[in-house]
Amino acid sequence: MTADGAASSQAAAIFKRRPGLVAWLVLAPLLAWLILFVIVPTIMLVLLSLGEQKGLGTVHFTFTLKNYVRALDWTWLKVLVISVGYALVTTGICMVIGFPAAYFIGRSSEPLRNVLLTLVMIPFWTSFLIRTYAWITILSKEGVLNALLVSARIIPEPIGILYTPFAAVLGLVYNFLPFMILPIYTSVERLDSAVIEAAYDLGAGPLRAFSQVIIPLTQPGIVAGALLVFVPSIAMFAITNLMGGGDPPTIGDVIYKQFTSGRNQPFGAALGCLLLLIFFLSLWITRRQRAE
Amino acid sequence: MKEVARHVVLPFFAVLAFFGCEKTPAPPSASPPATPSPAAANLASPATSPAGESTGDAEKTLHIFCWSEYIPQQIVEAFSEESGLKVSVETYSSNEEMLAKLFAGGGNYDIIQPSEYVIEGLIKEGLLTPIDHARIPNMKNLAPEFTNMSFDPGNKYSVPYMAGTVGIVVNSELVQDDIKGYNDVFQEKFAKNIVVLDDAREIVSWGLESLGIPVNEVSDENLAKVKPVLEKWLPLVRVFDSDSPKTALLNGDVALGIVWAGEGAILLNEDQKFKWIVPADGAHLFVDSLAIPKSAKHVQNAELFINYVLRPNVSAKISEAFPYLNPNVAARELLTPAQRNNPASFPTADQLANMQTFKDVGEQATKIDELVTSLKAQ
Repeated sequence: MTADGAASSQAAAIFKRRPGLVAWLVLAPLLAWLILFVIVPTIMLVLLSLGEQKGLGTVHFTFTLKNYVRALDWTWLKVLVISVGYALVTTGICMVIGFPAAYFIGRSSEPLRNVLLTLVMIPFWTSFLIRTYAWITILSKEGVLNALLVSARIIPEPIGILYTPFAAVLGLVYNFLPFMILPIYTSVERLDSAVIEAAYDLGAGPLRAFSQVIIPLTQPGIVAGALLVFVPSIAMFAITNLMGGGDPPTIGDVIYKQFTSGRNQPFGAALGCLLLLIFFLSLWITRRQRAE
Repeated sequence: MKEVARHVVLPFFAVLAFFGCEKTPAPPSASPPATPSPAAANLASPATSPAGESTGDAEKTLHIFCWSEYIPQQIVEAFSEESGLKVSVETYSSNEEMLAKLFAGGGNYDIIQPSEYVIEGLIKEGLLTPIDHARIPNMKNLAPEFTNMSFDPGNKYSVPYMAGTVGIVVNSELVQDDIKGYNDVFQEKFAKNIVVLDDAREIVSWGLESLGIPVNEVSDENLAKVKPVLEKWLPLVRVFDSDSPKTALLNGDVALGIVWAGEGAILLNEDQKFKWIVPADGAHLFVDSLAIPKSAKHVQNAELFINYVLRPNVSAKISEAFPYLNPNVAARELLTPAQRNNPASFPTADQLANMQTFKDVGEQATKIDELVTSLKAQ
């Protein structure tokens, strides 16, 4: 702990030194990118959320808070709760599946590890929309899975799997699982097996070694993975619409509709800002956890 | 003196007639060929490109901003080849998306393809360029009931491209009941077996029609009347999908649905088991037109394109790819009997009379959206 502290104070000292011109030049592309594509759009979103839409679609900047007042109505909060629920379930399942997978990959031999990592990343080579459509052909009533189950006489007749909340969660888990596996894997890879052996030597059972040694040491990976899954799956609406049938509605879908058929861009922006707030909140919580 | 006048006047008329000919289409495109097959064959044949059409803007480009899955790529390519114009196509999937891009300073579009209520709004705000009818002689191919419509009297700003309706598709293998209207669809026994369009305005219009209220009277009072109806209906729905509602029906995941007629027509072509029903309560008729935004830079090229798609053989090609209700009568004659008799594509005159077009409902759109969202999340 003391070594860590010393290192961080040293790091702080480096940060206190004013960066030179070269450092700024190296940073410039990143800074420009951040300003153009993160800061400016966020400011625009906040400004838009304070406006009012008139007629066919022109927005008047009246600096009203009424969009936020409306956004806090139960109609919309309920949608938000549904979306957060979807995201939490997805994150939980990803963690349960992802941790053992990542642990196994991280502990396996070098050649096998590379093969397994490639397998995890292969789905990224195809657009997620195409993969989602593939799921539709698998899960539909006249699809591959039902045909298999019926011919194997496991079920008497095809069952409706597609267009249920189950299918929506399946789609989310499928798409976001790699985001959980990869960060945990990096933590596991750095995990020193000597520490685990030491735990056993000191009389800890497998359960204790897992909960008191492995989990705390891989926690940064777990937290990062959870964030990477949780945050995008709240706002994801393509998968929930295509595989869940758009019922119940999710916040991403509702925001999208405000910008299109709902004809209320400022209100959509206000909902977007609420979503941003949730993201910051989850970031802050994980930060605090890490600090502890 | 009279003699002289006659000698002057006659050649004058002859010359007028000659120039007039240049502005009007040559006979080949005016009178449809006897056999339906040429519809496919001579898209780019010189016989169908009269001299009068070949005048465009100095700059040889045209930017089209249209619905996705509405103008076949083949048509765009054939037009580009014939006219020598460089054509770019950008697509959108809702009127509001198109408006948002147009308002965001999209001065780059020469042709847009809004639905009727949007045309009305765009005209009101002075955002469209009047169309020079002399340059679009093929407008005469349009059915009289699709010209001079209430959203654009005299077609000063828009030319109908395709029309369509919304109706009920039933998989007769799974549903034996006699389905007539919306209330027959939303029955307890079909719970979680229904696909509907994911479109708040549409859904509310079905509720209004089932109550006998005109679809454009969306006052708070009427919305309150519709609420209990939709409260019962929406929990029965399995899938909300506007983009491709046919998928759920084709895969057997739902037994019946309320979908766009174009999607319905494809389903009917696909399998005999699908039946198309025009709701007895009344239905929504939409008309998508081609229009030229005020900010367009290539107005003449745009007119050239509009006149091109109104050619019977070109329009028939479009119908073949996207079987909506084609307002082009001359093109209808080139369709196969099967295409022409598809009840989803072409409703009867009686059915058409029972249909209503949407008017711009302004800020009520927000309330409609809120009503449907709250009922979906119940």
